[in-house]
Amino acid sequence: MEQLINIMMVVILLTNLLLLGSSRLGTCIPALGFQGILLGLMLPVLLLSPEGISIHTLILVLISIPLRGLLFPWILFRIVKKTNIRREIEPFISYPVSIFLGMLALVLAFWMSSRLAGTPIPSLHPLMLPVAFYTILVGLILIVSRKLAINQVLGYIVLENGMYVLGIAFAGEVHLLLELGVLMDVFVAVFVMSIAIYRISREFSHIDVNQLQNLKD
Amino acid sequence: MENGLILWALLIIPFLGGFCCFISKVRFIQWIASIVIFSMLVLSGIAVWIIITVGSIEAAHGWLFLDTLSVYHIALLQIVFALASLFGKSYFPVEIAHKAFDPELLPRYGMLWFSALGAMNLVFLSNNIGIMWVGVEATTLLTAFLICIHVTSQSLEAMWKYLIMCSVGVALAFIGTMLVGAAGSNLKAGHSEALLWTFLYQNASNLNPFFMKMAFLFLVVGYGTKVGFAPMHSWLPDAHSQSPAPVSALFSGFLLSTAFYCIMRYLPLVEMATGKQGWAMEILVFFGLFSIMIAASFMVFQRDIKRLLAYSSIEHMGIMALGLGLGDIGTFAALFHILNHSMGKPLCFFSAGKLVQIYGTNSIYKIRNAMKITPVWATGFFLSFLALIGMAPFGVFMSKFQILKAAVSKADYISLIVFLFGCSIVFISALRYMLLVLYGESESHIHPQKAYKRDIFLVAFPMLVLLVLGLYMPEFLENILQKAANIIRGY
Repeated sequence: MEQLINIMMVVILLTNLLLLGSSRLGTCIPALGFQGILLGLMLPVLLLSPEGISIHTLILVLISIPLRGLLFPWILFRIVKKTNIRREIEPFISYPVSIFLGMLALVLAFWMSSRLAGTPIPSLHPLMLPVAFYTILVGLILIVSRKLAINQVLGYIVLENGMYVLGIAFAGEVHLLLELGVLMDVFVAVFVMSIAIYRISREFSHIDVNQLQNLKD
Repeated sequence: MENGLILWALLIIPFLGGFCCFISKVRFIQWIASIVIFSMLVLSGIAVWIIITVGSIEAAHGWLFLDTLSVYHIALLQIVFALASLFGKSYFPVEIAHKAFDPELLPRYGMLWFSALGAMNLVFLSNNIGIMWVGVEATTLLTAFLICIHVTSQSLEAMWKYLIMCSVGVALAFIGTMLVGAAGSNLKAGHSEALLWTFLYQNASNLNPFFMKMAFLFLVVGYGTKVGFAPMHSWLPDAHSQSPAPVSALFSGFLLSTAFYCIMRYLPLVEMATGKQGWAMEILVFFGLFSIMIAASFMVFQRDIKRLLAYSSIEHMGIMALGLGLGDIGTFAALFHILNHSMGKPLCFFSAGKLVQIYGTNSIYKIRNAMKITPVWATGFFLSFLALIGMAPFGVFMSKFQILKAAVSKADYISLIVFLFGCSIVFISALRYMLLVLYGESESHIHPQKAYKRDIFLVAFPMLVLLVLGLYMPEFLENILQKAANIIRGY
């Protein structure tokens, strides 16, 4: 079981690097969905060994895997289809540099988790905190460095995936109601952002955030 | 238990109202709105009365909770919301006549408008700090489309910036919330009460100080993005200047304070966990002073009337943070300042919105001779802006003065000087424009506008409140403020 969790963690790390290094939305979106499915499976796999799966976990898994693994990629693919944009144009930070930044982020994530080690958290797995911080950092890098609005949504979803892992790492099993509330917020956020992108593309005939510079002082 | 029902009512009625708006015909919407707003006003009045007599109430196994601090905010929110909705009635008909707004969209925007109220109420009512986070995030999502009611390229840009910046900021606040949960993990709480604010408050001195410090940094930056603290403020002037006036009024009047309220809730937890050394308060003083200075320097050369007001909001949020950070009488003053600001600023946005509507431009250089053309709104703009920049005898002057006293009594002379300097820059740069707007010669041929009774009420009510508060503090209000301040101080 330990082996399986380690592999899952490493694969999540790798999907993050893939997201940083790829310009084609056709690669990024499935990678994001794959990451979402892995995250959804993480909690049951972690809890499998001690006392079996509770109904609480089951409900969460049944909601979060379809949401993260299928619905989000589907929404993103719909935006791709409607706006007819296949790849990032020219990011603020080039791909080799952003992979390098990703490596730095990995170091930072391990450093941050080592600072928190030794303090009383019931962390379920030693790799969990670094993976959480790393995913959050990658999400932030994606949001800041990409020009297309759709890539910012992608970054937001990655950021939120990281928050989900962090929540499990810190709080263990928090109340179902709270988790559902957070999931609902994230779902609505992605939904609202996709409508917003659709409106922007209709008005501007592009979704390049860098060109949204009318409002200044 | 019967008291608990009122919490449910405060939470559910706005969402119910939003749903009714969505399914109803356009002509019934104003009836639905009146019923919802009236019942919310009455309910919040009853809630204030109950809290004064009982102290605090809870429902849903402690997940919903109301004490003096939150009931104060809820009552203010309902008043601001009612004023903003009432103003909508004199704002949107003109927009419809100008073909700038399609009345067929009214049900949709009505739903967002009332649901945003519900989400804000959720923030104030929830005792679970996770659910509080859910509420703040929901306010961002529900209000995003209200910014671009007028679909222009600028408003879409403002909406996108708002959506991304606030979502990311609030996501950082989530990390802070989880860290607070982790800080309490040695308390051995069951997972239904681990994140309850009351539980954390009772055990605050046993929380892990290192985690609480980390958490507070994330929380201040995260919720601070939504409050509009500099340097995370860049979405705020855009969103405020592009949204229609009633929406800007609600944004400035209370959405910012809603996020500020979350920081207020965490302040005592962090202070008690770190042994009351004033660590967290110093951070707030820093953000407060920085926001005041940034806002003041941007106000000097500002030409857009609504952006000017938006920067003024950043300044006022900075003043509140400063008051909270100074502590003691400053905490009281910060709470009092919220009341003053949420009376003055919506009126300012109403009048500015009307002026923009009449003159058809946001540029402050083109709005001239307003006293002749629309005396009511020009007076409203003049008086409310005068009150906001701290002219005596209005309430804002009193709360600013109390914050000064707090700085003096704490011998924090750096804050004192920066605060005074910032306020005087704002004072001068605001007055510079004011007289030209009111009396300057205008070349355009705009006809004098008719004033309705509603408009006069909208101007007179907030100004009277501000005037009374400046001259005399009613005893029950002082009690409420004192009790709320004690909650923040951690007594």
